Amino acid sequence: MAFARAKRSVLPGFGLSLGFTLAYLSLIVLIPLSAAFIKTAGMSWAEFLEAVASPRVVASYKLSFGISLCAALINAFFGFILSWVLVRYTFPGQRLVDALVDLPFALPTAVAGIALSAIYARNGWVGTWLDPIWAKGVQELSSIVPWVDWPSWLGTKLAFDRPGIFIALTFIGLPFVVRTVQPVLAELEPDLEEAAATLGANRWQTMTKVILPELLPALITGFALAFARALGEYGSVVFIAGNQPLHSEITPLLIMTKLEQYDYRGATAIASVMLVTSFVLLLLINLLQKWSRRYYRV
Amino acid sequence: MAASVSTALADKRLPVRAAGPRVIRNPWWVRMLFMTTALTFVGCFLVLPLVAVFIEALRKGVGAYFGAFADPAAQSAIRLTLLTVAIVVPANLVFGVAASWCIAKFDFRGKSLLITLIDLPFAVSPVISGLIYVLVFGAQGWLGLYKNAENPSWPALAAWLNVHDFQIIFAVPGIVLATTFVTFPFVARELIPLMQAQGNDEEYAAITLGASGWQTFWKVTVPNIKWGLFYGVILCNARAMGEFGAVSVVSGHVRGETNTMPLHIEILYNEYNFVAAFAVSSLLALLALVTLVLKCFIEWRHAQAREA
Amino acid sequence: MSIVANNIRKTFGAYTALDGVDLNVPRGKLVALLGPSGSGKTTLLRVIAGLEYADPGSGRIQFHGEDVTDVPAGKRKVGFVFQYYALFRHMTVFENIAFGLRVKGRKERPSKSGIADRVRQLLKLVQLESHGSRYPNQLSGGQRQRIALARALAVEPKVLLLDEPFGALDAKVRKELRRWLRQFHDKINLTTVFVTHDQEEALEIADEVVIMNQAKVEQVGTPQQVYDRPASPFVYQFLGNVNVLRVQALAEAGALARGAAAMEANGQVYVRPHDIEVIPHVPGAMGITAIVRYIHTAGPAARLTLEQVKTRETVEVETSRVTLANLDLKVGDLVNLRMRQGHSFDGDYTI
Repeated sequence: MAFARAKRSVLPGFGLSLGFTLAYLSLIVLIPLSAAFIKTAGMSWAEFLEAVASPRVVASYKLSFGISLCAALINAFFGFILSWVLVRYTFPGQRLVDALVDLPFALPTAVAGIALSAIYARNGWVGTWLDPIWAKGVQELSSIVPWVDWPSWLGTKLAFDRPGIFIALTFIGLPFVVRTVQPVLAELEPDLEEAAATLGANRWQTMTKVILPELLPALITGFALAFARALGEYGSVVFIAGNQPLHSEITPLLIMTKLEQYDYRGATAIASVMLVTSFVLLLLINLLQKWSRRYYRV
Repeated sequence: MAASVSTALADKRLPVRAAGPRVIRNPWWVRMLFMTTALTFVGCFLVLPLVAVFIEALRKGVGAYFGAFADPAAQSAIRLTLLTVAIVVPANLVFGVAASWCIAKFDFRGKSLLITLIDLPFAVSPVISGLIYVLVFGAQGWLGLYKNAENPSWPALAAWLNVHDFQIIFAVPGIVLATTFVTFPFVARELIPLMQAQGNDEEYAAITLGASGWQTFWKVTVPNIKWGLFYGVILCNARAMGEFGAVSVVSGHVRGETNTMPLHIEILYNEYNFVAAFAVSSLLALLALVTLVLKCFIEWRHAQAREA
Repeated sequence: MSIVANNIRKTFGAYTALDGVDLNVPRGKLVALLGPSGSGKTTLLRVIAGLEYADPGSGRIQFHGEDVTDVPAGKRKVGFVFQYYALFRHMTVFENIAFGLRVKGRKERPSKSGIADRVRQLLKLVQLESHGSRYPNQLSGGQRQRIALARALAVEPKVLLLDEPFGALDAKVRKELRRWLRQFHDKINLTTVFVTHDQEEALEIADEVVIMNQAKVEQVGTPQQVYDRPASPFVYQFLGNVNVLRVQALAEAGALARGAAAMEANGQVYVRPHDIEVIPHVPGAMGITAIVRYIHTAGPAARLTLEQVKTRETVEVETSRVTLANLDLKVGDLVNLRMRQGHSFDGDYTI
């Protein structure tokens, strides 16, 4: 790393603050993180493959990826509508709703996990009537499209099965889309919509051809952030997932399980795969934000 | 940098124009559809869980609710959580101020890389955040291997470590370290954009008027960033109290010793002691509500300061 | 197409933006709506465009005799150019101009090649042929303005409306672009209304100027009419510098010859700085006695700031540099001032 000297400055404290920052960063973040990669590097290729590509692990990747993707997509859709309502409309309790959007940031994940399972479990508040509908729906679907194994895809109940994971991941990803789209929407000049209107576009055309393209970078960024967060989420999911190997076991839980079995190598190998994935995502999000600013350079 | 949502104070902007009645807007049925959809979504995913925590906690009455806190294990969990926060938040606060000072006030090469590295912990799954400390300090980790090595590099150190056999993993220090990692970026992330936006002019003015570096920092910089500082601290605090995954990995789950509040909730819940689990949860939910209220308050103050 | 607006009222809550405004724009003319900020000129333009609806029960708007009061903006066939252009950032220049054509219903929409031809034609018209594939952020302010104009013209509007068309540009580009707009208007000959707060701009290029103040129209006329014959003290002061002199001071100085009887003794006379003549001071001679306080000679004409000896009030005078050189004045000298022409709203009069 090339941290060059600062240009001469009147303000004091550069050396002290940078030195402390780098030392603290190295001790807390960089050295421990590197441990994961160093440990992985010590494994043979065969060992590594066995650890990261066994059927149970691959099943967990698919599950984590698939459901995180669904949850992030749902968040992108509802997050857009929610930001629209928060920015464009006025209604009683608006500030309250706006503040509540940050709840998933503030509420501990374990609390969210048990609260969500209390609501969506078969005997829970919403689960009481929604759970039978879900089970019945899956059954119906199986009779209409019998060549797909729907119960193993969609689960047979809401909580303690795959839908529960989806519910938890939607909850924790919710603020990301709203908080990236909302400021962009608030800054969007009404002029643009008026220009489209004077040029003869109807509301639908204005929405799809003018507003959505303007919001798209923010929407994709929010989606990617929600997705990245969902991939690593553990606390809220374990309470509501059911956690059956090969069916409803997410990757972070699998790392936890391996640790509990003192399989440190296996856990570390999977962890390094996840770390690389999140860093690639991080890079993509960074590029995305650069790309989204390309129209705004003056 | 990128892997962050703009909860940052510096990013909050008021709408450019007051949204008066406008000719160009969606038809009423679209507006109704949007409102209903948005509010139903908020209701199902945000309001219901919050309400559920309190109602489930009080399901068997106030006596049972407070009974949950009479349990010594619960009290010990609360104490441990408070202890952790008391160490982690000040440490990350000092780091945040130092990092934002060198990043916002000076120009140097590698700055954007540094900002990226500071945000890194947000991209790491909580479970992995715990795991990496096990790899460093655990019995199977670097520290363990060093202590048990046949001829270690500094035999005196190894001997000393073996005599004073203090534990890091599956003990309080591990919990503190993992929590520090998870909440590492919060304060710095708030302060960097804020201090960058404010620029150096006031500090320069103070220096030309003869103030020393520390005087400039305490009398000029700190008053300017105090709301951002506070904002970062409350977010850091909320996350530190509620962290589950990372702490779960490094804690030994010893009841009354290495259980924080979220871990205690897990144990109670797995023992089907739902009322107690939700009672302890209600404390953390209250904390979340207080955090949200403070957050709104600070944003409001900030907006007012900008208008003035 | 002509534009007629009758008795337009528009209120925003307790604030009255337009208070019974009438407007009549003849076909093919270039008309300026001129006024200070907050005078209601932009609101009037937006009401004409259909971006704002006038208060219910207030007057009507007609385009070429046809009532368009309740016609939505998209159907009024107006081209509207926004102050900050409102170009779509995610579209190229070409796509921006084509937008209005592409959103037309299937029946009216030109073919793909038809749209391309039309866009190319418009790019040529605004002299930016080679810029079709650029994005708005790659253009200068003046170029963006012309693209916004081309985009508005693409839908073949019957009326062109421009909101502060030069407001966001720097001084030099402003001047170039406003001459260009005048020539452009002469070429396309489209009924055009533009809003401006810059009197120089309005007087230079408009066929007709509508001067607005505090939600009302103060005066309508050609640039010459409004400059030479301002209908109100507001217009006088808004269009260029003016001295307000007391009738009494003029009378005492013997500077009032004719028509004095018709004026109130405490009335005021409006005199442009270039309508005051400076002559060397001779005691007892006609004219107001004043002391020279400042002499500004930078610029095409010389400007003097003087103080009336009797009333201590300030007078601004503009004169040629040659005249000033002949007078050989220094700060502190006494001079006599005479009016060539003045204007009183109690009744016009000339010395």
